[in-house]
Amino acid sequence: MRQMLVVYRRELGAYFKTPIAYIFVPLFVSVLALFVFKIDLFFELNRADMRNFFRYVPYFVMVFAPAITMRLWAEELRSGTAELLMTLPFHSWELVVGKFLAAWTILALTLLCTLGAAAAIAYAGDPDWAPIIGGYLGALFMGSVFIALGAFVSSFTKDQVVALLVSLVAGFFLCVVLSEYFPMWFGIRDTNFARVIEQIGVRSHYVSIERGVLSLRDFVYFATCTAFLLALNVFRVQARRY
Amino acid sequence: MSLGPASGPAAGAAPLISVTELHKSYGATRAVDGVSFQVARGQIRGFLGPNGAGKSTTIKIITGYLAADAGSVRVAGIDVAEEPIEARKRIGYLPESLPLYQEMRVDEYLQFIAKSRRMERRGAAQRIAEVMALLGLERMKKRLTGSLSKGYRQRLGLAQAILHDPDILILDEPTNGLDPQQIIEIRALLVRLAATKAILFSTHILQEISAVCSQIMIIRDGRLVADGTPAELAAAPGSERDWEIVISGTEEMPYADLDALGIGTPAGSDLAEGGRVYRFRRASELDIAVLGGRVTRTGRRLIEARRATRTLEQVYLELMGVGAKGAA
Ligand SMILES: Nc1ncnc2c1ncn2[C@@H]1O[C@H](COP(=O)(O)OP(=O)(O)O)[C@@H](O)[C@H]1O
Ligand SMILES: [Mg+2]
Repeated sequence: MRQMLVVYRRELGAYFKTPIAYIFVPLFVSVLALFVFKIDLFFELNRADMRNFFRYVPYFVMVFAPAITMRLWAEELRSGTAELLMTLPFHSWELVVGKFLAAWTILALTLLCTLGAAAAIAYAGDPDWAPIIGGYLGALFMGSVFIALGAFVSSFTKDQVVALLVSLVAGFFLCVVLSEYFPMWFGIRDTNFARVIEQIGVRSHYVSIERGVLSLRDFVYFATCTAFLLALNVFRVQARRY
Repeated sequence: MSLGPASGPAAGAAPLISVTELHKSYGATRAVDGVSFQVARGQIRGFLGPNGAGKSTTIKIITGYLAADAGSVRVAGIDVAEEPIEARKRIGYLPESLPLYQEMRVDEYLQFIAKSRRMERRGAAQRIAEVMALLGLERMKKRLTGSLSKGYRQRLGLAQAILHDPDILILDEPTNGLDPQQIIEIRALLVRLAATKAILFSTHILQEISAVCSQIMIIRDGRLVADGTPAELAAAPGSERDWEIVISGTEEMPYADLDALGIGTPAGSDLAEGGRVYRFRRASELDIAVLGGRVTRTGRRLIEARRATRTLEQVYLELMGVGAKGAA
């Protein structure tokens, strides 16, 4: 545990010592704000909730997570520091979890930066706080799946750009392809197969949160996906030795 | 050599590094092909070979970065495949690639290493100061590691490796890219450290190794082709002896005349004071009086005949299949 925190702190430090945190976080927040305020809320300002905000969040996280995770392993493999890290007395899981938590922290900080929107809504009306808190928690947990996915992908390559593109595609698959859209496109709505596809995908689980329906099932789903991807990452790191 | 195996404090004890029949392939490339050796406390073992011979691969297996296809490695009696964490605690490792986190400052980097090594905070601060002083890094304390010159980067890499005062020090081409002055400093440091440690250090430069190593092994195409003290390596194989004879006349002797000397075909000849020196190797003793007579019959004079010791350089070139080997 203590050793995992050593990895976590170094990794978090790296985000703030390199331009990543200063480029991607403001970019994320401002583009999201633009979408929410200029395009949507403009028409429905009288509604004091954040439904539109949380409607966009999964897609933003889908794009943003790969941008913060692409360097996690790829940069270590490129610069040779992987050889140092993997010959220091760390267990593989300490490296994997430490790195994951650092990237997740960046995501959490970014979501925190959007709290300004919540404040604006509170000022405009008298919002129902439960769905807003639920929406944030949902975004954070959904984000952990994308962060774990991006970290896993990053452990396959020395090239951050490759890591970025592959995790984008994988994230798109998980969020958009495995959703109600897929059965729609293929004209197989309302079949059992369609329901299974939907349940595997991230979106259906986020949608209930977006509606303000906090269900334990959805959180279990996110936690299970994250744990599964982290386990794959541990195996991958160990398999690199062969 | 004062640093022989018997001079170490734990002479006779189990070796700190013990490598047995190591094999490793990358696809069709056999990078390491049956390497075995041991390093005891107090020894500096040089690991010499041309680029691509398999030095780094062997080292990466010992340090646990790579897994072997076959064979085993024990450090301080611990199998690196079975107890990787315990084994790594005992090793200080300087990889060839000099793994520094570019965005960290020198002291931050060493603090990270200290925490990774589970050192106590207070002890760590003191030890970091000590190691920075030892390697002349104090002035660079607040510099970003990415902005250091090659020499300082190498020193920081070494500082990182010795920070936790490991029993086993493994250095992959530690003098790579250093200037002669820095090389001499590092050598002196290694000799000082060697008293209490087992040191394995690789290089593709011969001169580096003969200056500090008590034991030298030479690797080629993944196989050890020589292993011993510098003196053992310099001796000709088996009962053969190398000879050098100086004969008057600056022109090389014609083949018929050389043949008449009855010494076989010389490996080579060079201009020398008073004539030419001819080098050759033979298993039987050389009767200098008889040889002198034969030389006189060719109309020349035998000026000198002496036993030659080979330099490590000659040994190395022979083992690499360059030079005299084919001619003898
Ligand atoms: N990651 C790798 N993938 C494929 N081949 C490799 C890899 N690393 C080394 N090799 C090959 O293995 C052989 C030994 O390499 P190496 O151990 O680095 O030699 P040295 O350190 O003595 O220069 C070389 O032929 C090299 O090309
Ligand atoms: Mg090498």
